[in-house]
Amino acid sequence: MLNRILAITGKEFLHLWRDPRMLAAVLLMPVLMLLLFAYAISFDIRNVPTGIVDMDNTPTSREYAQAFDASDLFNVSYRADTISGVDAVIDEGRVSIVLVIPKGFGKDLLAGLTAEVGVYVDGSEPNSGRVSRAAALALTTQYNRELAVRWADLNGVDISAVGGLEPLMRTWYNPELKSSDYLIPGLLVVIMMIVTVQQTSVSLVRERAQGTQDQITVSATRPTELLLGKLLPWSILALTEVGIITLVSKWLFNIPLRGNLFAFALGTFIFVVCGLALGMLISSFCNTLESANMMAIVVAFLPSFLLSGFVFALEQLPEWIQWLSCALPVRFMVELTRDVFLKGAGFAEVLPEMSFMLIFAVLAITLAAHFYRRRLR
Amino acid sequence: MTEANAISIQNLTKRFGHFTAVDHLSLEVPVGQVFGFLGANGSGKTTTIRMLTGSLTPSSGKAYVLGANVAKRVAEVRRRIGYMSQKFSLFEDMTVEENLRFYGGVYNLDPDEFAARREYILDMADLRGRESELTANLSVGWRQRLALGAATIHSPELLFLDEPTSGVDPLARRRFWDLLYELAKTGVTLFVTTHYMDEASHCNRLAFINSGRLVAEGTPNELRAQHNGATLEEIFTKLSTN
Ligand SMILES: Nc1ncnc2c1ncn2[C@@H]1O[C@H](COP(=O)(O)OP(=O)(O)OP(=O)(O)O)[C@@H](O)[C@H]1O
Ligand SMILES: [Mg+2]
Repeated sequence: MLNRILAITGKEFLHLWRDPRMLAAVLLMPVLMLLLFAYAISFDIRNVPTGIVDMDNTPTSREYAQAFDASDLFNVSYRADTISGVDAVIDEGRVSIVLVIPKGFGKDLLAGLTAEVGVYVDGSEPNSGRVSRAAALALTTQYNRELAVRWADLNGVDISAVGGLEPLMRTWYNPELKSSDYLIPGLLVVIMMIVTVQQTSVSLVRERAQGTQDQITVSATRPTELLLGKLLPWSILALTEVGIITLVSKWLFNIPLRGNLFAFALGTFIFVVCGLALGMLISSFCNTLESANMMAIVVAFLPSFLLSGFVFALEQLPEWIQWLSCALPVRFMVELTRDVFLKGAGFAEVLPEMSFMLIFAVLAITLAAHFYRRRLR
Repeated sequence: MTEANAISIQNLTKRFGHFTAVDHLSLEVPVGQVFGFLGANGSGKTTTIRMLTGSLTPSSGKAYVLGANVAKRVAEVRRRIGYMSQKFSLFEDMTVEENLRFYGGVYNLDPDEFAARREYILDMADLRGRESELTANLSVGWRQRLALGAATIHSPELLFLDEPTSGVDPLARRRFWDLLYELAKTGVTLFVTTHYMDEASHCNRLAFINSGRLVAEGTPNELRAQHNGATLEEIFTKLSTN
């Protein structure tokens, strides 16, 4: 059994290796997309107009504020020692990020306690909000202290807990979702979809169309062995690429990977299985490479593009599309990824998404197996 | 059904919707013979072979291959048969060596077995020195010989060949048939479809089908005698046009 699966897997890798265009599409495209992001981001990461509210006013807090000032990411154009004026300067657009150092910051830090700072971000401005948040985090790390950065974003950290601040009534959230925090999880999902759904369906259909599937079947290779052998390479590739993108997004883009990495890995695995099952399903319907390709674009590529925040925020789409999106695993994988990356989710929080994808995977595999068996009749 | 028959089929029928591709076909193929399976395009040859190899489930009827009911013991049957499909069965983007290795893998040969078979096939197909050539770059005659090698890598007792020599020049066809005779001498039963009547005349027995029905069967000489000394071409034309 293993022998056969490995023979088939080896052959699949040979096909890939001998087809430079395919190899490029699979291996280079994700890197290219990431680099495009890097380029887009390098535009606006400099000189973010920044306000600093130092309510502590100790040598430690001033030193910390100084680190912000010294960085060319931030251009500190507003200083105050109370929170009262912040609303106005953000509204006027004078600053797009405000760092709030609460009273007791220096004392806590010296006492070895976890000090807290508040970061108010104007999320209504595309990109800069994201950059600032990431950069604030970066600076916190750079400052080499144990700081818990509290973000006053829509996701509701209790601001009043941070130095008695009142939360500002603003959109602490980017309604267009145009930020790499949101885009990179989307990118991950799109790439996984391409590698799993499109490549598997095309590779399965090709095997059948060129007649070699018949030949392999007659060698007493069971359909399961053939499928496993053909799906294995794409699973390996998809998981490898997820790994690379995750590392790069953390390292290059400072996307906070705050949640449980294992929850993310398990979610990814289930999603890959969903993708492979979808690919199988498509290949059981299509007889030509062209139709398989088209179908993959319709079922896999478009939804993952449309529902991943690349183009629209899901919330802005018509309600029926939102409902429709529940029929595909993409939406849930995007949510899972964001929850884990941005909101620090663990297994418990992403259980609903995982369960849905698991149900989808089981259903799709059952259907695909059914249609595959029917083709033999 | 006896063990003396490599293939024994009774009333084998395959319908695709309302269309009947194979129609109550009954046939016996004795062990060790070169059996020619003839018929016009679309007469149901490939469909019959696909049922015999277990790739297609018959609508009705029974098929025994090497004494085993194909419907029930398909895995066992498949281990003992070889199949060279009408479509090109090699991977063009892989080398000679890689193709052989792949089929050695799916037939689950152990390394020693594979090494021995590889040597044998390279000699048999005259492919020595071309092991690392891409299959796409081989001429058609060579490819067919390699395909034969791949289809027999597990030393099958019965080999199905579906138009193995289509598109091959006369010289290469002759060489290919020499290889088939070699195989037959070692006791392998061959079930061959072809549109070349010179090839058919070299078979031990022939069966003609038309629209999925058996229309004639016998040795080439018997058939010629039955048709008052007509050539096989003439018989083929006559049997295929009514
Ligand atoms: N899967 C299928 N679905 C529907 N019809 C089919 C299918 N497979 C074969 N047929 C039809 O059955 C008939 C017999 O086809 P088959 O391939 O067995 O003929 P053949 O004798 O091998 O012909 P050729 O000499 O061209 O190879 C043809 O009319 C073909 O169109
Ligand atoms: Mg045919």
